[in-house]
Amino acid sequence: MGLLAPWFLAGALAIGVPLYLHLLRRHTSTPQQFSSLMFVEPRTQSSIHHRRLRYLALLALRLLVLLLLVLAFANPYIKRATVSASGPKLLVVAVDNSFSMRAGTRLDDAKRQAESFLDSRNPAERAQVLAFGSQVQVMSQPVIDPATLRNAVEVIQPGDSRGSFGALAGAMRSISETVQTPVELHVFSDMQRSNMPPSFSEMAMPANVSLVLHPVVKAAVPNWTVESVDAPAQVWDPKKARVEATVAGFDTPAATRTVSLVVNGKTVSSKQANVPTNGRASVEFDALDVPYGFSRCEVKIDSADTLSADDQYFFSVQRSDPQRVLFVHDADDSRSPLYFGDALGSSEQSAFAMETVPASQVQGTDPTKYAFVVLSDVSSLPEGAQNVLTRYVRAGGNLLIAAGTSMARLSTVPVFGNAITGSHYYSRDGAGFATVSDTDTSFTPVGNAAEWGGVKFYYAVSVDPTGAQVIAHLGDQTPLLLEKQIGEGRVIVFASGFDNLTNDLPLHPLFVPFVQETAGNLSGLQQREGMALVDSYMQLRTAKEQAVSVEVIDPQGKRPLSINQATAAQSFQLTDAGFYELRLANGRQDVVGVNADRRESDLAVMPDDVMALWTGRQTNAQSASAANGSQTEDSAPERQPYSLAWYVLVALLAAALAESVLASRYLGTQREEP
Amino acid sequence: MQRFLDPTVLNAISGLDLVAKTVVDGFVAGLHRSPDFGFSQEFAEYRAYTPGDDLRHVDWNVFARTERAYLKRYRGETNSLLTILLDASNSMKYTSHSVTKMDYARFTAASLFYLAIKDQRDAAGLIVFDDEVRNYIRPSMRQGQLQRLLAGLELAEPRARTDFGKPLHHFQEFLRRRGLVVILSDFYERPETIIRTVEPLRFHGNEVVLFHILDPKEINPNMNEAVVLVDLETRDHMEVTPDYLNKDYREKIDAHIAALRDGAKGAGMDYHLLVTNQPLDGVLSEYLTIRQGRD
Repeated sequence: MGLLAPWFLAGALAIGVPLYLHLLRRHTSTPQQFSSLMFVEPRTQSSIHHRRLRYLALLALRLLVLLLLVLAFANPYIKRATVSASGPKLLVVAVDNSFSMRAGTRLDDAKRQAESFLDSRNPAERAQVLAFGSQVQVMSQPVIDPATLRNAVEVIQPGDSRGSFGALAGAMRSISETVQTPVELHVFSDMQRSNMPPSFSEMAMPANVSLVLHPVVKAAVPNWTVESVDAPAQVWDPKKARVEATVAGFDTPAATRTVSLVVNGKTVSSKQANVPTNGRASVEFDALDVPYGFSRCEVKIDSADTLSADDQYFFSVQRSDPQRVLFVHDADDSRSPLYFGDALGSSEQSAFAMETVPASQVQGTDPTKYAFVVLSDVSSLPEGAQNVLTRYVRAGGNLLIAAGTSMARLSTVPVFGNAITGSHYYSRDGAGFATVSDTDTSFTPVGNAAEWGGVKFYYAVSVDPTGAQVIAHLGDQTPLLLEKQIGEGRVIVFASGFDNLTNDLPLHPLFVPFVQETAGNLSGLQQREGMALVDSYMQLRTAKEQAVSVEVIDPQGKRPLSINQATAAQSFQLTDAGFYELRLANGRQDVVGVNADRRESDLAVMPDDVMALWTGRQTNAQSASAANGSQTEDSAPERQPYSLAWYVLVALLAAALAESVLASRYLGTQREEP
Repeated sequence: MQRFLDPTVLNAISGLDLVAKTVVDGFVAGLHRSPDFGFSQEFAEYRAYTPGDDLRHVDWNVFARTERAYLKRYRGETNSLLTILLDASNSMKYTSHSVTKMDYARFTAASLFYLAIKDQRDAAGLIVFDDEVRNYIRPSMRQGQLQRLLAGLELAEPRARTDFGKPLHHFQEFLRRRGLVVILSDFYERPETIIRTVEPLRFHGNEVVLFHILDPKEINPNMNEAVVLVDLETRDHMEVTPDYLNKDYREKIDAHIAALRDGAKGAGMDYHLLVTNQPLDGVLSEYLTIRQGRD
C-alpha cells in the first residue's frame, strides 16, 4: 500500500475548518435580548443534548468527506499480482486481413500458419481467433475445440481496410482485463511498417500478454500503385474536364507504366508514365467524355506486381448541363454584365451559363427557365416584367439585385419592396471611401469582414432594412447586403453596383469567389464528392431528415443496411473498395468510388529491432519455444501498483450523500412552522 | 394613506408633533369626509343666556336683532377627557426591526393626543409609569397642552420594571373626572393581576381601553438555532432551543393574549393587540368609535 501523490496529504489540514465551525464557533453564540422571560422555561437540556449528538455525527461525516477527498488526490495504491501463475493460459491467434495481405498469397500463408500452429498446441489449452485490419473482429470465443478454431481461421476474408497494430493492442488490453489469466498472443501478419501507430506506446501489450510474431514475409517486394486521382465530381463541359493521376512505386526500379482512363468499363484513353526509382509520376487526361448522369470511372495501371488490388483508383463523375442565369441590365451599362459574366465563367468547370438581356427587352422572358435572375442596377423595369419576377420569386425563384446609381432614382427596390431612403457618395480621394465594417459569417459567400477590408466603396444606396436580414454593413452602418425571404423564394440586394464605378469590387480578387458562391447559394447547387477512402464515413441524413429510409448498395451489389438501420442510421462506414450506390434521405442519388488507403501499398516490413522491442522481455529461445507450441511458464507473477482512487471516490460520494441527508434533516427541524 | 401610517416610515420622521399630524391627517383624509370633520364645528342649537355663561359664545348678531342674548351651542361642546397611561418599563425597549415598542407607543399616544385636541377639542392628559408614576400631565384644553403632552412623551425613556400595583393608587387619585383611559403597555404580568389592578378605574365611570403592544418577534420568535435570551427587565439569562420557542412559547404567549382579552372583556374594558409592524389606523378608529359612543 502506498500513495502515488503523497504531497496532497497536506490538504488534510483543511479538516480544521469544520472543526472550527462545529466546536468553536458554536460556543461563541452571543446572548440575545428579549422583552421578558415570563413565558420561557429552561427545560431544554435534552433537546440540546440530542442536537449536540447530531452535530457530532454531522461533524464526523464532514471530516470523513474531507479526508477521502485528500486521499483521492493522494492516489493510494496496492501492489497486486497481475498474472495468475496457476491460471490456465489463453492462446490468442490474430490474423492480419488488411489490404496489404491481398498481395500474392500472404493471407493464405498466414491462415495456413495459424492453422498449423493451432493444430500443434496443447489440446487442453483454450484458444481464440481474431482478425484485424483497422478494427479487430472476434472470429471465435475462447474454446478448445480444434474444429471450431480451424473453421474460424478459414472464414477470414481479405479486407480493404488499413492494418493497425494499435487497434490490436487496444483489443488485447480489453481481453486481458476480462480474462485475468496469462494470454499468449500469436500474430500472423506481413508486419507492414505502415501499420504501426504514430506512438509506439499505443501498440504496447498489457503485462499479462506475451507476444509472439509470425511474419509471413521477410522483406519488402516492389509494388506500383495509382496513388491518387484528381478529377471533378461534376462535369458540365466534358471538354474542359481534366483528370490527373499520380502513379507511385514502392521499392521499385525505374519503369514505364501504361496508365488508362476507364469510363463505365471502357478504356477511353491511355498514356505512358515514366516512374522513377521509388518515385512518383503524374499523368493528365485532358478530357473526360462521360455521358449524362453518373459514370463509374477508374484510372488503371499495368503493374504486374503481387498486389494488383491497388492498380486501379475508382471515382465517379456526374455530368449535367450548366445552369442558366438571366442577367438583366440597363442598355447603357456594359460593364456590369462583363464583370459579372467573367467572374461567373472564370472557373474551368463553371456550372453556370449567363444570358444577358437589357431591361427594356426583358418583357416576355420566362424567368422560371433560369436557376436565378440578376437585376443589375436597372433604372426602370416594365410593369409586367416586375409582376412576372415577383410571381417567380414567390413561387420559389431567387433574385440578386444590384442597386447602384440608376436604381437610386426609384422609390423602392423592385420586387424586394423596401424603400430607398437615399444614397451615399463617398470620396474617391484619400481615405474618404467606405469599407465593409461587419458581416454575417453564417452567409457563406460573404466570409468575414477582414476579407472585404481592401474593397473600396464610392457609392451606396441606402435601403430601408425593415423585414430583411442585413448580411453586411459599410463603415457608416449603411446596409450593403440584405436578404429577404419572399414567399418560397429569396431576394438578395447588393446596395452598390457590379461595375467598377461605384466600387472597386469587380477589380478585387474577392469578386470571383463572391459571385460564384453567391450563384451557388442562390441556385441551390450542391457539392458532391466522387471518391472516398475505405473506412471513411458517408453521411446519410441530416438532423432534420429523420425516419426517412436510405439505401446503400455495396460494391458486391448487396445491401449492407438492415431495414431498421436504413431508417435510423445517420452515417455509414465504407468498408470495401469499389463503387457504392447511395440513395440519401434527401432523395439525392449518388455513386461514390471507394479506394483503399494507399499507405497499404507500401509493403515495407517492420524492422527486426522494432519487432524485438514490441515483443518485449522475450528472449529468442523463449520465442522459439513458444512458436513450437511448448508450454511457457512465467517465473513469478509480476506485482503492479493497482490504484484505489476509484474506490476512494465511490466512498467519497457515499459520504457526501450521507452528509447532505443529515444536514438537510438538521436544517429541516429549524424550518419555520406555518 | 397606509404609507403614512406605516411605523417604519413614521420612525424616519423626527418630532412627535409631525408624526402625529401625519398620522391623523392621513387617517382623517382616509375617512372620505371633509378635513374639517369634527363635532365641535357642528351647530346644535340656540340656548337662552343664563348668568355665568361664557360671553364669547353669545351670538351677537341675534342680540343685535332681538336684543336678547342667545348662546350658540355646538355638538362638540360635549367635551371628553382622554388620559393615556404609558408603560415606560425596560421591556418596552425591545424591537426586532427599526421601531421599538416604546416608539410605537409614543406614536400611538401622540396620534391620539393630536386627534383629541386638534380635531375633537377634548381635554387630554398623560401618565408615564413603570414601577411608579414617573410623570403626570394633568388633562387640560389649555393652549399649548398638546406641546406639553408631546414633550412628556419625548421624555418618557424606558427604565426599571413594570409594576401595575404601586402606581395604580396614584391613577385613582388623578382620574377623578369621567373620561377615556387608554393604557399602552406590553402587559408582562399575569392577566388576572392586570385586570384586578386596572378594573377600579372603570368604577369611576371611565371607559378603559387596553392597547397591548407587542413586537412581531414576541408573538412568533422564529429562531433557527439555540440561543441565550436575556430578560430586559431582570437581566436573567436563559438558554432556549428553537423547538421550544416555536412550539411551547407560542402556545403560552397566545394563551396570555387570549386570557388578557377575555379578562378585559369580562371587566367591561376594551382590549386591542397592537403589533409594531402594523399601521396605526386601528388605534385611531377605536378611539373615534368610543368617542362617538360617549356623545
